[in-house]
Amino acid sequence: MAIPLPPNSHLQAVLLVTKSRSLGPRLVFHYPPISPSAAALLATKAPAWFGNDTSTGSIDESNDSSSDWDSSTEPDGADEDIEIGSRTSGGRGSGRTGASHRDKEKVRPTAGAWGRQESFEEDDMDGEGDGAGGEIDKDGKHKGGDRDWDTVLGFKVDALEKILCPTKAFNKRRFELGVESVVFVGAPMFVRDDGLWKKRKKRRKQSDEERLHKGDMLANLTLNASQEEESPGDKKKEEKKEIFVLPPGFEAGYGHDIDSEVPSAAASDVGSDVKSDSTTNHNNSPDMTMFNVVFVLNPPALEHQMRVKDMYDNVTKKYAKALKYEQARFEYVWKESKHIIDIKQRAKENGESLTVTWRKIVSISPLARSLATMFDAISADKIAHIHFDASFNTSFQIPQADSTPYLPNAMEPQMPGLWLTTSNVVVDDENDAPMTQHAALLLLQDHEVILKDLQAEKANAAVLSFYIRTIVPTKSLLKISIKHNILAQDMEYIARHLVYWRRARLIAPLHPRDTYIVSPNADMSNLQAAMASYVQRFPTLPSLPKMLSLLSQKPKEYRYLIPTAEHRDAYMDILAWLMRGGWVTQLRTFAWVRVSPGIKAQVAAEMEREERLKKEREDNESATGSLRSDKRSSFLSAGTITGGPRPGTPLRRTRRDNYDGDDMDASTILSPHMTASTSGPGWRGSPARASSDAGSTSSARTTIPYHGPGRPTSPLQLSSPLSHSTTKPLHRPSPLHPKSPSPSPAPPFSPTSPTIQNQPPPSPPPSPQHFTSSLVLNPQKANAVEARWLEAIGKTFQDADIRGHWSTLLKYFDGKHAIEDISPREGFKRKRVGAMMQGVREGGWLVEVRHW
Amino acid sequence: MPTRAIKAIFFTRFHHEKGSRVLHQIPEGSITPCSSLSALRNPLFSFDSATPYLIPTQQFCDRLLTFCVNHYRVIGYPVCIREGRYSRNEFIFNWAVVVEESLADWVAYGEVVRKVGRLLRGLEEQGGFVSGEEDGMGAWDDDSEDKSWRIGSGSKVFALCEMLLEDLNNYAECMIPIDDSNTINLKLFPTRPPPPPIHAHQVPILTISLSALSTPISSDLTLTRILPYIDGINSVAHIAQLADTDLSLTRKAIQHLVFYGCLVLLDIFSFTAVYAPTAEIGGFIVDAAAQEECVRYVRVPRVRWGGGSTTRDPSVSSARDSQSSVSSQASDTSTASSTLSTPSSGAPVLPHSSYTHDISPETLITLYTSLRQGLPLRQWVLDHLDLLGGIDVRRLITFGIIKGFLYRVHKYAIATSTTSSLPPAPPTSLQSAPTSTAPSTHRNVSEASTIRLPAHKNSVSNGLFAHGGGGGRLEEMSRLDSIVSGEEMGGEIGGLGRFLDGMHCFDEICSEVGQGERVVEGRVKGAGEVQVFSR
Repeated sequence: MAIPLPPNSHLQAVLLVTKSRSLGPRLVFHYPPISPSAAALLATKAPAWFGNDTSTGSIDESNDSSSDWDSSTEPDGADEDIEIGSRTSGGRGSGRTGASHRDKEKVRPTAGAWGRQESFEEDDMDGEGDGAGGEIDKDGKHKGGDRDWDTVLGFKVDALEKILCPTKAFNKRRFELGVESVVFVGAPMFVRDDGLWKKRKKRRKQSDEERLHKGDMLANLTLNASQEEESPGDKKKEEKKEIFVLPPGFEAGYGHDIDSEVPSAAASDVGSDVKSDSTTNHNNSPDMTMFNVVFVLNPPALEHQMRVKDMYDNVTKKYAKALKYEQARFEYVWKESKHIIDIKQRAKENGESLTVTWRKIVSISPLARSLATMFDAISADKIAHIHFDASFNTSFQIPQADSTPYLPNAMEPQMPGLWLTTSNVVVDDENDAPMTQHAALLLLQDHEVILKDLQAEKANAAVLSFYIRTIVPTKSLLKISIKHNILAQDMEYIARHLVYWRRARLIAPLHPRDTYIVSPNADMSNLQAAMASYVQRFPTLPSLPKMLSLLSQKPKEYRYLIPTAEHRDAYMDILAWLMRGGWVTQLRTFAWVRVSPGIKAQVAAEMEREERLKKEREDNESATGSLRSDKRSSFLSAGTITGGPRPGTPLRRTRRDNYDGDDMDASTILSPHMTASTSGPGWRGSPARASSDAGSTSSARTTIPYHGPGRPTSPLQLSSPLSHSTTKPLHRPSPLHPKSPSPSPAPPFSPTSPTIQNQPPPSPPPSPQHFTSSLVLNPQKANAVEARWLEAIGKTFQDADIRGHWSTLLKYFDGKHAIEDISPREGFKRKRVGAMMQGVREGGWLVEVRHW
Repeated sequence: MPTRAIKAIFFTRFHHEKGSRVLHQIPEGSITPCSSLSALRNPLFSFDSATPYLIPTQQFCDRLLTFCVNHYRVIGYPVCIREGRYSRNEFIFNWAVVVEESLADWVAYGEVVRKVGRLLRGLEEQGGFVSGEEDGMGAWDDDSEDKSWRIGSGSKVFALCEMLLEDLNNYAECMIPIDDSNTINLKLFPTRPPPPPIHAHQVPILTISLSALSTPISSDLTLTRILPYIDGINSVAHIAQLADTDLSLTRKAIQHLVFYGCLVLLDIFSFTAVYAPTAEIGGFIVDAAAQEECVRYVRVPRVRWGGGSTTRDPSVSSARDSQSSVSSQASDTSTASSTLSTPSSGAPVLPHSSYTHDISPETLITLYTSLRQGLPLRQWVLDHLDLLGGIDVRRLITFGIIKGFLYRVHKYAIATSTTSSLPPAPPTSLQSAPTSTAPSTHRNVSEASTIRLPAHKNSVSNGLFAHGGGGGRLEEMSRLDSIVSGEEMGGEIGGLGRFLDGMHCFDEICSEVGQGERVVEGRVKGAGEVQVFSR
């Protein structure tokens, strides 16, 4: 689906299951403590595609809403009623009722939804004998959710922990188990056969830089981990043993020894945990053989694959690997697990409530805390910052789209507030340099907020904060890095980092000369809240509705909205603010070259003339006796039969064939091309280089058959041969040689039959009436005739500047590159681009359209 | 969807002594190794590692259980029957289907598996359908590995697996009689996206000709009544009015049609509305096929004058399908360039231009690209009169909307002052509003008719006047409304207060209050500090 779906992890619970020799499969920890029953999960499957409105129009909606539909009778209030109703009813209509997709309130099913069990169990034929479901039901009602130690997600704990402990065949594989529409996604990690969790490797010293970029840090880690595991050589195995395989009879001191390995702050924390843990048994062989972190999702059917994949790739797998890393370092997972199990056991015996116990566990155990953090953040579609211990913390998220080029129609999933633009769409050009350097970075939070968060991360925030302070949305990264003497790569690195971690967005630098419109995808339901924060921020300036109103007039450059020069900065701030909230988007211009009938006629006439010229020469040549060898002429004759009727062979084919050229006299073939490309106007190079698309080649062949026989195969070779031949006497002989026998291998599918070849070219001179104007869709991949048209157009310009840069401009006339990008990319001044564009426009050569 | 998505079907039984075993598998050797010559060389996945999920604990029985192994997704429905007549009082089996792990819509297969599982359970409970044949076969007597395929030949369950695999893969449905009283009827239903909410101000347009169907599509009375009025011009509210149906029922009926893809939703066409291109416009410009389709759709029928707006070009029927193809074709350069023959080649005008008033693709492109934000359609029409010869403007716009390369710029209003301290609005503007309604309508119709738009006066008036059909009643209503609003002046902004939060577009407001846009806008603007903006 091209249209991105609103971010929604559909995460319902996180489970940690371990399998150990002493305890067998164990569900160590689950979060949230009072998990919804599987039945409740089923019932609350609401695709949030249509945001707020889901409730008002969904089929299930019954009587209460119909009153609203009867228009005038029910004034205000009705909407709110429905919203509340849907929230409590919890049925199909209970979607996400929050404001925008970014900060919505999650309606999470709680244990209160026991009543909905019926739907799940409806066709249990003999409830008594069937056991499972019925018992849960009884337990649930009987004990109440908060005392219910024996069921999780409506399943008995023992059954659940067994089924979530897969065989070793699932080692490092995706574990996906679906029970009805509830999905358990896990990444099981098994201990190695030698009892280690990881081949011993030199512990990586984390430089500050790495810790700073925690996301990448994790990427490194996972990369390393997999490499290490695969690599046969293992170093320092003894050291590993020393640390991880404890000598017998070491029970009491277990924790302390590990602590010595744990640096600083968390050490005491962990140590105390472990001391209290001393009751549990351990022996010297690794007790735990497997752990499996399971994320429980209930995605709607259509989103199943996507949501599960997102969760597994971005969270489950990475988190499991991080845990494994910790486990390898100092038995982190098992130590914590035993501790948690212990606390749970005692609490259960004392008849404590789940919530109280869970609060305790989470406060004591960093592992439990990490799971809780993970759940809270990911289920709210936020970024989870996980602190495993003092020396290792990292972040997890399911990346979200930060922009889309598609405006959803009424029947497609809605994502109001998502930035609407094509500027982030990568045009599939191999020579398209990444836009990053020319883009500006729009921070999605204020500098202060980001810096404060950085401070919390303690790393070398000073450097980073310097970088961040320099960022302004009105200047491209390149300009900023030049101005502040920052390495361009550093700047880009930081930019990518901030973008990945949702702190910023790459935009085209905001400029008063650019045009901005109210985004059709703006989130109107968020308007009231936005107005309030806008007023706080820009109290003395026109209100938000006023600004939106100004921006929804006929599109014009932003500077016309700025009353005086003094207001410029403030108005640019407003623009940045509006951009941040997805209220506005830049209106960008896209263009194609329109070829007029006049040009076509002109080119056709030229080509005909050349053709005649060539024909004559050919005749001359054959009449006077060929200078060529027999081989040459025999090839010629062959060529006239096979290759002859192929009109408009694109340049590339010819050229490549030339280079590949078998036993041909290469220079005679090459020379015209070289003449053309060296002496012709500068743009020639580009179509030549870009015509690397096989598709266009074939289309060229099929599209121009009516140019009839005798058309030149490769116009570039022929272009103005007379003028060039004088300037390049060396290549003089070249135009003498016939071009029709293109030296390419005979095309198997020539459009016209070879016999036509011998007929004379159509005699009447082409006139503009015979042509209609058309567009050149992709100048970079223009076929031969198109290339000539473009060339001819290029010659019509009076302005030397346009003529000189016509080829550069052409690159942007493919409907995919915005005209606004010319200036930053090519390093031209805006004014100059504007003037050039004006010139081209005045000639009527462009079809232009403006969108985002 | 005959996709042959099912890779294997197999039947697993749990034996109290011998453990779990695959009794039947299609194709042979797909689950457990099999010595038959025709069997697959390698099983699709390791049966042993899958056993816990095929024969789970009772907790997980009698519900759909899927798991992924070796890039396959196994969809099973383990059944556990507890009854005294079985050894150890329970009988456990699982009828499961194997599909590719990446299969997007596996849920459809899940429903089939669930149904078969329940059916087998029923059959077993009724007459020992499954256990009975085991006794006869002596399935568990022999421990040899290839027992499974040999017993297959005469087994009903085996035959069932075989038929289901073939039928579902080839026809996506099947009907298999089991015995006198039982028949299996299965069909793979593709999962459809949830239908969007339907608003009263939206305009439905059919993508397939429902009236051409011989049998009525539904026994839903509302649906039958509203169908004749769905013409791409009437809004939902208007349709409900014309068909004399309840609005909420109408909305639901239309929602059903949307769900099944018979209908797309547009907005109220109006010459005061603003339309602008979306990013998809590039796809249209490079797609010659779409342009031709557009030409066919927008050309004013010259011969069939009486046909009016209800005759529909066949191209509309494919509108929905091809909508998605617009973007895909644009991205697929080879497709695009191969279809580009005509425009890019600079051909002399082709013979099929024998139509008078031939609309060239270029005209369409010029017209579409000249639409922009802030430019009402009326103005745009006047600006491009010379190009619009033979073109139905409504269809031109509608085509763009359906294909997604145009969007309607909706107008919103938001009250910036708190309603309690409302400044006195000039009463004249409000009073004059209703009286100006009728004349303004007429004026615009005449204005439109100068643009020579045959057969679409209806749409014009409709645009200005959301409830054009209910003329008399409407005027009454608006008059009433103005009286009410006049009385409530200063309190409620003429009853529009609830719409002035920036979340209700003018179409919606007009539709709700039953007044034309101009009237509504006048009322809104006269109602105090209100900002009107569009997006």
